[in-house]
Amino acid sequence: MFRFAPYVFKSLWRHRGRTLLTVTGSAVALFVFCFVTAVQQGLERLTKDKQAERTLITFQENRFCPASSKLPEDYARTVAKLPGVKGVVPIKVFTNNCRASLDVVVFHGLPTDQLQSARDLTLLTGSWTEYAAKTDGAIVGQAVANRRRLKVGQKFTLGEVTVSVVGTCRSAVPAEDNFIFTHLDFLQRARGKNSVGTVTQLEVQLADNADADALASQIDAAFHSGPVATTTRSKGVFQRDTLADLAELIGLAHWLGYACVGLVLALVATTTVMAVQDRLKEHAVLQTLGLRPLRIFRLVLAESMLQSATGGALGIGIGMILLAWGGFSVGAEGVTIAFQPSLDMLVTGGAVSLVVGVLAGIVPGWQAARAEIVTALRQA
Amino acid sequence: MALVEIRSLTKQFRKGDEIITPLNDVDLDIEQGDFVSLMGASGSGKSTLLNALAGIDPPTSGSITVRGTDITRLSRSRLADWRAANIGYIFQMHNLIPVLTAYENVELPLLLLPFSAAERHKRVLVALEAVSLLDRVNHYPRQLSGGQEQRVGIARAIVANPTIIVGDEPTGDLDAVTTEQILDLVQRLNSELGMTLLLVTHDPKVAALAPRQLRLEQGKLIEKGREVSIVGSDPHERSA
Ligand SMILES: Nc1ncnc2c1ncn2[C@@H]1O[C@H](COP(=O)(O)OP(=O)(O)OP(=O)(O)O)[C@@H](O)[C@H]1O
Ligand SMILES: [Mg+2]
Repeated sequence: MFRFAPYVFKSLWRHRGRTLLTVTGSAVALFVFCFVTAVQQGLERLTKDKQAERTLITFQENRFCPASSKLPEDYARTVAKLPGVKGVVPIKVFTNNCRASLDVVVFHGLPTDQLQSARDLTLLTGSWTEYAAKTDGAIVGQAVANRRRLKVGQKFTLGEVTVSVVGTCRSAVPAEDNFIFTHLDFLQRARGKNSVGTVTQLEVQLADNADADALASQIDAAFHSGPVATTTRSKGVFQRDTLADLAELIGLAHWLGYACVGLVLALVATTTVMAVQDRLKEHAVLQTLGLRPLRIFRLVLAESMLQSATGGALGIGIGMILLAWGGFSVGAEGVTIAFQPSLDMLVTGGAVSLVVGVLAGIVPGWQAARAEIVTALRQA
Repeated sequence: MALVEIRSLTKQFRKGDEIITPLNDVDLDIEQGDFVSLMGASGSGKSTLLNALAGIDPPTSGSITVRGTDITRLSRSRLADWRAANIGYIFQMHNLIPVLTAYENVELPLLLLPFSAAERHKRVLVALEAVSLLDRVNHYPRQLSGGQEQRVGIARAIVANPTIIVGDEPTGDLDAVTTEQILDLVQRLNSELGMTLLLVTHDPKVAALAPRQLRLEQGKLIEKGREVSIVGSDPHERSA
């Protein structure tokens, strides 16, 4: 087979304009495919990961935007006493934008002594001691840091909140790379006197054997007649509910992914059909020289696969690099979906472009292989 | 047993309800080392006969036995393998692959046979030398003259040392001087290298170069100098 590789490459090169267009087309389609996959995987990560199942979020009843949920901070102590609860983290959330947005900045204020235990963060720059020492200190997730070009030592202001960047971090949970972590009491004070003593939500970590649903109802029952009623859900359900509108859009984007695959198929198939029709006589000459019909078929398939795979590799490559460096995310109401490259994306994208390359070549390849030699030779 | 034995070869084409029979029960023997020319009016079936022998146009009935193998019974793939090993085809319009150099065009048939790279290289150079084109090895077909292209086509046809070389009006597209050169070359293939040749031509002067001259008329073969309808050279006569 490889003996004919120069012929395949040279044939593609002869029509380099056409080849380039086809390759570019598949690259663009696979690029979009990568982004669509990234959005979907980001959403899936939020709602389906293990940690999200073993953690409950207690929010003010009937509230969705973090700005409007105000729970008394001492609710945390009440919840901590319930059996099956391993720990409770009171969190103040502040965001610039409650609506769906591509540039969401979300502040999470956590009790100083709980940040490192409650979150799996790796510092990229800065230090924890500096953080502990500075009242307005903030550890910035790498995605925000990249997007807003934040470095240690800088001040960062959003609305009425101004923090000093003391570190940047990478989180084990990609969505948290879009957060800015601060001290809880700092964020409470920064937002005006009336938010002292209140938090946005409680994050309840469950003991291994605890029943999540039962505990959630138990928590809501405890505060039912209190000053502020609550709604408690698993973190996964909470995030899905919060992003319900976006999730619907993302579900739609799913079809966009299929459309991309269809597009590449149509494009590569068109090019291959044209290439075969151009070369009916040439293929007949090759058959006269003794190439088996199956070999002709494989040569055509090799051409269509090469174009599809090259385009795919380009599109996936550029897509993954952009996803890795861009720190893109979409968010609403303080919950963000991080777009990230993944091995899964690489494998799926690669498989898609190979399979599409094969599919696109089958019909024209078969035509080329079955063509009557003498009839084809007679063509001008 | 002759190298090629064609028996009761018939080819029919159906055009609507009209049936054309360019080959009607044709018999022909070709011996090793024969140089045969084939003439006939336009549409008499010359190409049809040549293509049947070359294994690219299956006949309606009859047999074509080459070195004991009846090629009309081979499958498409087997027939392709058989062509690679046994047929050197010189086209009227050379039909070189435009994206490949002269060298690569000549090497093509060898890629289908079990030759090492070194062996292929040697053979390609020998073939190109035989057609005096060693100085055009890396030229593409569009960089060659018509006569040079045809010589590359001939080099490609002889490079694998096939059992039979067939040519369908190989000089039909060339001017007088170039035709002269090509014919000289073809003649030497037969006389010096002992290659077996079947040449279809319209030109009586070209046909006259061949020791055996055939004509197709109304679906039947007639050999010059013989009246018998089964046209075969008699081995006893030849060895005498
Ligand atoms: N595919 C086909 N379908 C129908 N008729 C055909 C087909 N191929 C050839 N014929 C007919 O068969 C006859 C012989 O054709 P062939 O090409 O063998 O003639 P030829 O002797 O080579 O003529 P020329 O000298 O013009 O090349 C012609 O009448 C032609 O019209
Ligand atoms: Mg003809």
